[in-house]
Amino acid sequence: MGKRFVLGSVGVLLVLAAIVANTPNVAAHGEAADEPFLKNMTTAFFNVSVSPTEIEVGEPVKVTGSVKILETWPHTLETPEIASIMPVVPGPVFVLKERFVNGTAAIGSFFAQKGGIYEFEMELVGKEPGDWHVHPGIAVYGTGTLIGPGEWVTVKPSDEPFSFPLTLLSGETIELSTYGGAFAWWWSFAGFVLGVAWILYWTTNKRTVTNLAVTVQLPVNDDAPDIGLITPRDHMWMNVIVGVTLVMLVVGWTYATSNAPVRWPQQTDWFTPEFISSGEKMAEAQASGATYDEASETLEMKVQVTNVIDSDIALTQLTMAMATFVNGPEAEQAKAGPSDFVGRLEVQPDGPIAPGENKELTLTISSSIFSEERLIPTQAPQQFIGAVLRFENGNDGHELVTVRSNVIPTQFRSTYLP
Amino acid sequence: MATETTTVTDIADAAERQRRLELKELLNKKYKWVDWKWDLVFWTTAVFVVAGAADITKQLFAGDWDFWTDWKDPQWWPVVTAFATIIIPSTLQYIQWTAWRFPTGATYTACCLFFAAWVGRYFQWDLAATYPMNFVWPASVVCAGILMDWTLMKTKSFILTSLIGAHVWAIAVWAYNYVPLAAFLQPAHFMDHVVTVADVQGIAYIRSQTPEYLRLIERGALRSFLGETQYVSLAFAGTAAFVGYWIGQFIGRYLAVWPIRRYLKTV
Repeated sequence: MGKRFVLGSVGVLLVLAAIVANTPNVAAHGEAADEPFLKNMTTAFFNVSVSPTEIEVGEPVKVTGSVKILETWPHTLETPEIASIMPVVPGPVFVLKERFVNGTAAIGSFFAQKGGIYEFEMELVGKEPGDWHVHPGIAVYGTGTLIGPGEWVTVKPSDEPFSFPLTLLSGETIELSTYGGAFAWWWSFAGFVLGVAWILYWTTNKRTVTNLAVTVQLPVNDDAPDIGLITPRDHMWMNVIVGVTLVMLVVGWTYATSNAPVRWPQQTDWFTPEFISSGEKMAEAQASGATYDEASETLEMKVQVTNVIDSDIALTQLTMAMATFVNGPEAEQAKAGPSDFVGRLEVQPDGPIAPGENKELTLTISSSIFSEERLIPTQAPQQFIGAVLRFENGNDGHELVTVRSNVIPTQFRSTYLP
Repeated sequence: MATETTTVTDIADAAERQRRLELKELLNKKYKWVDWKWDLVFWTTAVFVVAGAADITKQLFAGDWDFWTDWKDPQWWPVVTAFATIIIPSTLQYIQWTAWRFPTGATYTACCLFFAAWVGRYFQWDLAATYPMNFVWPASVVCAGILMDWTLMKTKSFILTSLIGAHVWAIAVWAYNYVPLAAFLQPAHFMDHVVTVADVQGIAYIRSQTPEYLRLIERGALRSFLGETQYVSLAFAGTAAFVGYWIGQFIGRYLAVWPIRRYLKTV
């Protein structure tokens, strides 16, 4: 029995060790775990750039780009009203030093709406050495954080330790990484010492467990000084500790308020960003259906497009959630965003759409991004996808048009669980 | 007749005096197998249970308010923290007072919580997650614990302790932790705004899943108090702590002591 137990235990430990050893590092931020509708129907990130991708501790990285809150926002989520754009990184391995949304410095959140386009610019500074995946993200009240395309950034150690100087309005410059931390610890520890003194007084001068035999025979509000449970001497020493506590509080308060004579409540600022247009009106587009082949990771979407201006237009990009697909050569694709989130868009028939022309386009995308990021619903209560189409004319004009389509998987898998 | 009554009273008093003398002897009785080592084992092993209960309760009800300096605002932090932190101290106060007549429950819980909170913040948040300690230091409730235990010792009443001690608790928790917080409320210039040092920490040290709009800053209906919402909040914090105190008493009486008493053999 004993031998079996030992062998069994060793076996369990070996299995656990094998599981731990074969567990891959968590490299992304869990966006694949989100339901597809939470990504492709809510937002579209485009023109995202994370640069440079190799820095030393203390050096900056810029994260720029745009995010559109789509008109296809699902009815199953709260209507977007408040949002906040932030870098999505594994904890504070960077610090955020600057953030602009549509040109306005953004310390907090902003009022958002369906169809709104928000250009962001964030400056991060490397704090912890390592390889970190850096995404932009937009948190929407009632929904959570929705993540844009990310890029790996290597932060190398520096000869200089990380530093975050901050100048107060008083003119004093403090080191934010450590400021006030030691005092918070020692102050709390001093209180802890008083508490320990209080506990030790009772536990070393009196017995504990055996007191129960006496206390169960007394009313709860009887402290029995005559019996010896709580004596006048106990009162005297507890008064002393309480006195020391109050003196400490007065001294601490006096020190803290004279050390920081100007104190403000925490600040908050929600603002309405400047409006950014989707571009000059040049196309009307309506999706008429889509199919998705899981085996080949291929999405095919039919879109009815009408050119409403007097010059030729062309469909150049399709953006879905954090992924951008480009109807163009690799050089164009390289400019569209972080390479892991960019793919090729095939448009049939290709070529310009003449003024006034109405054309049915077939958009075909084959990309592993669909499965890696779980962008396409294959068996969901909302079998829809949303995307932003970018049309351009020859005069540097563009328009972003949001389309929504149901999507039918071409392969159906048997499922044995709900 | 009067003499007879006096005699009966005297006999009753004498019997009570005798009973109390016996209890005094019982209090000082030397037990063969139960000595100070039992007490030591009891107090030290309870540290982890009490620390866990207090820390979980605090995180459950106060959560972010206790984690970040930029959440320690004048309006919501005093209320939420006072309520969240008084529950388990009240439970322990009931247990330790009724079982041993020790006015130590709140202080003991506060000390255990100090230990658990600082260990957690240092290892999980500073070392593992790299948030600096000056941003994630936990509030201390030891001072409040001492004052509330003292209140119980003086009043010998849970009702009076809840009425007086809970308000003392709320004020003490706020006042004691305002001392280290004060430095973080100094204004500084950052991102084209004048904000507090605590705000800068909240913006700079990235919390991807804790967007700014989750903070409750200047939200609520306290608009008509000449800007002195702090004191109104403290008054409400006392009331919230009173409620928390009785939740703790309920836990102590009906979830901790009552089930044990069912299996205790009483003489």
